Order: sequence, then C-alpha cells, then structure tokens
Amino acid sequence: MSHRDAAKPDSDAVHRALTRRSLLASLVFPAAAVAAGCATSQNAKRQPTIALTDHELGFEPKLGATKMESDGTRSFRNHLLHDQDGNAVRYQDDLIRGQIFAATFMYVDCKGICSEMTGKMTEAYDLLQPIMGRPVQFYTFSLAQDSSDTLKRYMEARGLYGRPGWKFLTAPKAVITDIRWGFGFFDADEELDSNLTTHTGMARFGNHRLDRWSSCPALANPKLTARSVVSLFPSDQRPYIAALDRKQAHPARKIPNFEPLPPSTQGEG
Amino acid sequence: MSDPGPNSVFNSGFGRRTFLKGSALTTGAFFINSKFTHLRLADEPSSPFTTPWAQPLAFTPYNVPLPAFEPLADVNFDNFQRYDELPAAHQYKVQICEALHCPHPQLAFSPSTTYNGMCPGPTFMMRYGQPVITRFENCMPPVMPSYGSCDVVTHVHNGHHAPESDGGPWDLYSPGIYKDHHWANVYASDLATGQPDSREAKGTLFYHDHCHDFTGANVYRGLAGFFLLFDNFDSGNENDTNPDAFRLPSGVPDGKRVRNRYDIPLVISDRRYDANGFLVFNTMEMDGQLGDKNLINGRVQPYFEVERRKYRFRILNSGISRFYDVWFSNGMTFQYIANDGNMIPAPMTLQNVKLGVAERADIVVDFSQLPATTTEIYLVNRMEQTNGRGPTGNTLPMNAAPKLLKLIIRPQTGIVDNSRVPTALRELPPMDVPVARTRDWHFDRSNGMWTVNGQLFDENRCNAACKIGTAEIWNFSTAGGWAHPVHNHMEEPRVLSRNGKSVVGTVMQGRKDAHPLYPGDEISVYIKFRDWLGKYPMHCHNLTHEDHAMMFRWDVVP
Repeated sequence: MSHRDAAKPDSDAVHRALTRRSLLASLVFPAAAVAAGCATSQNAKRQPTIALTDHELGFEPKLGATKMESDGTRSFRNHLLHDQDGNAVRYQDDLIRGQIFAATFMYVDCKGICSEMTGKMTEAYDLLQPIMGRPVQFYTFSLAQDSSDTLKRYMEARGLYGRPGWKFLTAPKAVITDIRWGFGFFDADEELDSNLTTHTGMARFGNHRLDRWSSCPALANPKLTARSVVSLFPSDQRPYIAALDRKQAHPARKIPNFEPLPPSTQGEG
Repeated sequence: MSDPGPNSVFNSGFGRRTFLKGSALTTGAFFINSKFTHLRLADEPSSPFTTPWAQPLAFTPYNVPLPAFEPLADVNFDNFQRYDELPAAHQYKVQICEALHCPHPQLAFSPSTTYNGMCPGPTFMMRYGQPVITRFENCMPPVMPSYGSCDVVTHVHNGHHAPESDGGPWDLYSPGIYKDHHWANVYASDLATGQPDSREAKGTLFYHDHCHDFTGANVYRGLAGFFLLFDNFDSGNENDTNPDAFRLPSGVPDGKRVRNRYDIPLVISDRRYDANGFLVFNTMEMDGQLGDKNLINGRVQPYFEVERRKYRFRILNSGISRFYDVWFSNGMTFQYIANDGNMIPAPMTLQNVKLGVAERADIVVDFSQLPATTTEIYLVNRMEQTNGRGPTGNTLPMNAAPKLLKLIIRPQTGIVDNSRVPTALRELPPMDVPVARTRDWHFDRSNGMWTVNGQLFDENRCNAACKIGTAEIWNFSTAGGWAHPVHNHMEEPRVLSRNGKSVVGTVMQGRKDAHPLYPGDEISVYIKFRDWLGKYPMHCHNLTHEDHAMMFRWDVVP
C-alpha cells in the first residue's frame, strides 16, 4: 500500500460517529504515540505497537494535552498525519520539534471562511517568502478528513503546490481535534465545538525551541500575520522584511552600547 | 482552582463512569497513580498551598526624576505635539528588565519582566501643570526564557496623551531600543473656552505594557505600576491650607516609607504557580486566564496594619481576566469617591464595588467607626468566576468569598485625623458640544475570532475618523456568554446609560475609560475629541481577548 493510499481516511476504523466521547476513548486513554493516528492506516499497523498510555507518556488525560519537557520545550502527542503528497509525518517529531510555524485549520468543501483564509495566508506567505521553508513552515490542517489527493488538487488550483514550507495535512478527526484543542481552539459547548460551519479562523504561531506562542485571526491583514511570525524569532535574529516596517510617529531609537541587564533578585515586594 | 470549569473534558458530556470504564479497558496501569486521578479533576494544576497573611503589604518606591544636571541625551522634542507649549518640567528614565520576583515565602523566585527591577513597577507621582518626558529603555534579553515577549511598549492607562506618547500596541520595540514619551499632564480642554478644564482631572491611573499579541503575558510577568496624578483640589495633602483642597486621606507609601501614610494604592491580580512555586501562564488559552492565588501589590494574601482613622484606598484590578466584587468582610460601608480614578460629584456610601479588568475605585474607609473589639477584617472578593469568559453572575456568600487582604486594626486612641471627605468633589464636565454623530460598537466573536462590528482588527484601517473639536455618542454592546471590559485610549467619555437606564446616582455616573460589558450589556457614552491628532486603539481589556485582536483603531483628525 502506498503512502497515498494510507492517507485516505479509513472509514471503518475511525469514522464512526466521532463524538467527543469516542474521541477521548480512542485517543486520550489508549494513548498517544500510537493510538489515533496509527489505528487509521495500514502503514501504522505494521509498526511495532507498544500501547503506551497517556499516563506513561506524561500527558494529562484530556484533549489537547501537552507536557513540558526538562529543556523548557513543549511536547504534543506524536500523532501520525499525512501531507498533500501522502507522506506520513509525525506531529511532534516532524511538525513541532525545532520548528517555527503558522498553523491554520480548513477543509476543502468549506462554504464559509476557508477560501478567504487560504487567500490571506497566501498573502502572508508571499510577504514571508525569503524565510518560507527555511526556517518558517505553514501547516494547514484539514478539519474534514480531506484525502491527500484532494488537498493536493486544492493546492494546485490555488498555485500553492510545490511552495517550500507549506504543508496541507490530513488525519482522522480524533487527531485533528486533539491538535486543535492543543492550540487552544475549541469551544466549551460540544455542539459548537463540532460544528464545522463555525470552525476556528484563528492561526496559531509557534516557535518550539523558545516555547513562544501567539495567535491572531488568519483572516487578518496578512501583514499582521506575517509580523506575528517574525516576532517568533529572538529579537536579534529576526529577518528584516521591508514590507513589514511600521511607520511610528515617534520612532524608538537604539540605546548606545547596549547590553541586556542581568536579572536582579528582588527579595521584597 | 479546583473547579474543572466548562472547558474540562469532564464537563463535556464525557461522564465519570465512561471515563473509568474506558480507562479500565485500555490500561490496567491507570488506577495506580493517585496523582493522575487528581489531574483529571482540574483543567489546570492548583498552585501549592501558601500560608495566608504571612507577609506585610508591600509598596514600591516612587519613580525619581533625573537630576537636572543629567538630562536625557538625544531627545527628539520635534516629534511631540504641543511640546513648545508644554515643555517638560522633569525627566525620568525607566529600564524594562528581567528580575526574579518572589510573591510569597513558600513560593519560588520566578523570572519576571519589570520596570526598574520592581514588581509592581515604581509609582509615578505626577502633578497637573508639570509635563514630563519619560524614557523607557528595553533592557530585556533577545530571547525570553519562558512566556511573554522581549518586545515592549508602555501605555499609561487613561493618560490624556498624544498618540506618539500613548504607547499603543503598534509602537512596540525590541531590546536595545528606547522610546521617549511626553506626558503633558494637562487637563483635557473645555471646547467652549479652549482652556484646560479641571473638571477633566484624572487621579488614579496605571502604566502597563501594551505589546501587540503579548500584553497579557507581559503584564502577568510584572509590567504594571501606578501612575497617580494630583492637582490643587486632589492635592495629596490632608493638611492642605488651600481652601480648594479636598484634604482626602493622604500620603502614598514610598517603598518602605509607610509610616503616617494613608493614601494606599492596591493593585489586585490573580496568578497561578506550579508545584515548585514558579509562576505559570497558559500561552494556549483563548478564553481568558484565571489564577488561584490572589495578589495585592505583588504579594500573595498580605496583611496591612491600619490606624483607627480614615484611609484612601485606590483599588486597581490589573487582570488579566478576573472580575472582582470587593467587600469588607464585616460588611462595613465606605465612601466611594472616584470611578476609574475620576472624582464623582459627591461621595457615595457603599458596601461593595465591582471591578472589571482595568477598572479602578477610589474609596475612603474610616476604621475609627469600628468597635474596639474589632481587631481584624478582610478585603474579600464575592464575584464568582469559573473561567476566563467572565463572571457567572452569582455573588459568593461572604464566608465563602476568597480573602484578598487582611486588615489588622491597631488598638489606638487619641489619633488626630485631619483628613475629610468633602460633600462636594469634582463637577462633571459639561456635555455642551452638539453630537456630531452616533456610532455603534458591537463586540462579538465569529469563528473563534474577535470582531468589532463584524470586522477583524487591522491597525492599518481607521474605523472612525473623529473630527477634533467635536463630540459623538458611542454605543457599546456585546452578545451573550462573554464579558468584555472595553477600554478607550486618551479620551475619556461620560457614561449616559447602561442597558437603556440612566446612570445618574450610580457608580457609572461619571467619566470612565473602562466599560465593563457583561453578557448582553449595552452602554452609551458621550465622548469629545480634543487636544491631540492621531491614531488610538479601543479594545477589550480582558488581556487574553486583547492579545487575540479584540480591538479597533480610531483617529482624531483635523
């Protein structure tokens, strides 16, 4: 079975009614590394299966759980996803660890905000062109289990296919829900949360190494989106992109002979 | 906070029985660890226990002006509007830098972002008629060790300042950069005469970080401090011989100088700490953040010894998402004198005051009215709130309300108290300029994105071009389910009505810069546009909402 075949949703295995209960039952408890993603593809089934529990992996038993590592970085469940070319990728290992990225959620047949959102992200991509692919990544997660082929055709139709650093990704609903919750994009109301027509239009920006995270509407002015991406870098390593300059009425100036102050210890107050 | 909250999977249709059944089927190791059982009961781990009333209330020192013989170098005065008319009498320099801050002996020293290494920041003691220039140097490292941003910009909340000195979110700057602010400390003008109008005076303000996308995290890490403004009426001297002076209880503590000081700034906030006592912040939270430790002036549940006399408390809710309903535990009354730092025409006798994020209340409380047997009372919060979306609408019973501050009343007699609460405070400025137009501002949410009038924030788009010298009516409203304490920069409107009812005789009667919109609320205000040209933001002051772009831009135009 090819990667592309493996990326197709396996309706028998996973696409039973995915209420939040079944999401949790299939995802949270039996756990992370292997659970939801692996159960969905033949490719994964061939891997040696060690059913590590969330507990053993250090995740709290809730949707979107993350855990902090001793080096100050954040780990997500290492789900299996597939990109527009059918390539299998691991969420934590391939998409999160060491990456600087912007992530959005959409689906191909969306009659709402998705088309405009992709358009705005494309404009943001164009602004960030010099740093796209290396080091900045764009991830677009399918909320409706679009197949890799479908995502590829969508990208081709919009002139996005082949652009470095932009992956459209698909996985079973349980996985995408866990990823979405992990980024904080959920509604406390279960009905609203599972309503595709009101799905999130927020973008999540992340720099895994620095554990730096921010968010703004993906439908925002692409300059704001691009600035949010640039601000993920350490302030002395930010790429200069002239189009993102702000004109300030009273410009700030450089401090002569500047060195950051070492932290002081304030015992009181 | 032990309440799982509505975001918990355990409140979302996934029952306890299902949980146990599922876990038993999938893993036999599940029940072994009792800590795991604890974790599933809470969205966020609770902070470690801290002994209440273990430390005194603390005060940060005043900001001290630079000596005249060491002025700031390279100030570009040409960039300041009206600088020739309002030249600086003093100059200040503040360094924004990392510091380790310990809010309680049983908690750790946490990395914090501070003004001059202090948390809260040093207090600005300002006076009308004395403009200043303040330089904020960004001395942060280029990489933050945890949440928050090394980019900063400082905004004086409710400052009547020109946009180039306002510290709006679009003026952020990086480490190694400084920015100068010209704080004119001038009353807003009376449009009829063109002269500064003392009825527009502001008193209790605060300054805080306003970095785009990161305001909440930076304020949470420590970037906030008081900015107090005095004039000949609110002169800060209870023994003032000027017949115009209010002679309210006076003397703002200056660091450890607290003796004979009766004008007490209290910044209330909530925080959360990990098992090792370090400050934690949920960077993925979208609804709003709640802490489970109550801090006043940077310390967890401190105590404060008071004399049997009158005190002025300036209470500020610095957020980032919690609302407060502040009472004294014995139900005693106090004189309410100012809303959002603005004197109302006459004091009101109240038992409680509600504070949305960024709201302030100035009250005068007379401890001499207490019986001699009363030796301690508490400041408590009776507002029930279980998530960042806003209060539940319930008022907690007094005995179940979280205690914020312990007040220990000294057993003294023969105290001379020259302070007073005049029956007449400050008149409200007139609404004498014809209304040029009415605008509606509806704060809402669409596809998880914050909107104002259905539009997303775009700093390059002016949503309202307001002609200088005119007045308008602005109507604020919000949909159900969320509370939005909306805040306007620079111009301070007068409140006309709340949900169609007049606010005369209520705490909302005066001028306000923060408008707490509870679910479904509508607030109408009368706003003038004066003194400065340029762009300003208006935004939700639930800082989590603000950081996710619940904001719009309006301009004052010629």
